[in-house]
Amino acid sequence: MVDFARVQKELQECNRDIEVSGISVNPKSDNLTQLIGTIPGPLGTPYEGGTFTIDIVLPDGYPFEPPRMQFATKVWHPNISSQSGAICLDILKDQWSPALTLKTALLSIQALLSAPEPDDPQDAVVAQQYLRDYQTFVGTARYWTETFAKTSSLGAEEKVQKLVEMGFPESLVRSTLEVVGGDENMALEKLCSG
Amino acid sequence: MEMQKQEGLLTDAEMESMTSVQASEVDDWANFKDNDIMQQQSAILAEEAEKIPFVGDKEPLSSLEAEYQSGSIILLEKIKVLSEQYASIRRTRGDGNCFFRSFMFAYLEHILNSQDRAEVDRITANVEECRKTLQSLGYADFTFEDFFALFLEQLESVLQGSEASISHDELVQRSRDQSVSDYVVMFFRFVTSGEIRKRSEFFEPFILGLTNATVEQFCKSSVEPMGEESDHVHITALSDALGVPIRVVYLDRSSCDNGVVSVNHHDFTPLTGDLPADAATVGGPEPINPFITLLYRPGHYDILYLK
Repeated sequence: MVDFARVQKELQECNRDIEVSGISVNPKSDNLTQLIGTIPGPLGTPYEGGTFTIDIVLPDGYPFEPPRMQFATKVWHPNISSQSGAICLDILKDQWSPALTLKTALLSIQALLSAPEPDDPQDAVVAQQYLRDYQTFVGTARYWTETFAKTSSLGAEEKVQKLVEMGFPESLVRSTLEVVGGDENMALEKLCSG
Repeated sequence: MEMQKQEGLLTDAEMESMTSVQASEVDDWANFKDNDIMQQQSAILAEEAEKIPFVGDKEPLSSLEAEYQSGSIILLEKIKVLSEQYASIRRTRGDGNCFFRSFMFAYLEHILNSQDRAEVDRITANVEECRKTLQSLGYADFTFEDFFALFLEQLESVLQGSEASISHDELVQRSRDQSVSDYVVMFFRFVTSGEIRKRSEFFEPFILGLTNATVEQFCKSSVEPMGEESDHVHITALSDALGVPIRVVYLDRSSCDNGVVSVNHHDFTPLTGDLPADAATVGGPEPINPFITLLYRPGHYDILYLK
């Protein structure tokens, strides 16, 4: 059973200093087991200027079991799957502790964006590029940030147009975007999952 | 640390290596996600759970002897020596939390049996100190307050004469109930971590002797996560923070040069804040007699009972 009283406190605590940290956590559903986190790309990295959303699912054993986190925003990084958004980070696995919080986990993910660990990769292709051709890696990571992590700067009509161009019917695109609060990535995910 | 497989004791470290061996047999890494790894890990833990509850029943020391029948002669002789002084053993699950779990049960059982209200008052004051330590170290209250509250609740309930009072049987049941047992274990992990960080200069050389980690890294990776095994650093810190002496009796295969079999033990004696360090050790006021005795076999702790 998830300790919801604690989750409530965590959300309050995290969103209190959102101005400083830029990190937020919000419920995706009413029952607080599915949440959405956002982290700003760290300055001085290819992720700078991007806003990354992270899907959070709280397992029954939370806070004894780690929150399940994965990137909803596509990101090019050695420790994050470019396909699924899965994150390779010890504190999300065996190094998790109830002493940590959703916010500290998101801060660790942000730190991971700043300091990739290509020797312990989640995405072997990205890790290889990082090690062998760093300049190309930086270029690709920056391009992905521009393309996928800055969608919130797009106007509403641009989002609709972009999704319609992908082949979805316009009315469905509009209603889906509305449901997910205008988040283009989430709308795309929803549209794809039917 | 030497593993002693033939003795039929599955240590925590072995369980870990089992996990990694099984994981490495997976061919298709692309489809083997973190969730799968964690599911596999919890499956292994569940399998282990069927063998022994978090805290077992009290067993005569002869059951320990039976375990080593086909094993080492030295160990059998040592158990014989042990049985002169100790009557029984209570096993705990080998899930990496066995030291904290043993300490939890032994301490609460001692209070239940002794009804020592002065001791409860004393430890409660120490717990409040620990709370302040964590706050001053920058821990957010909500990360630890539930764990503190739950421990204090258990402490309250082993004292008889109130509505919340529980019997010995209920104490056993609670210690086997994950929603109580794990919370108390985590409480001890917080207390231990806080004490190590607070006195990092003291603990640093010991930690460097164990790993390459800094005090901060050690607390984050070896104290605060559930399932991380305890070493003398953890025991020293917990004993100091709560002011509870702990005797650890070592059952290993180290033999004695003079041919006489004896069993080593070490008393973890908490720092007494008021006394200068040497007064506490050299002919101090009176020798402290630990009321908690744990049996250590490489990689695992259980509870021992005096005759």
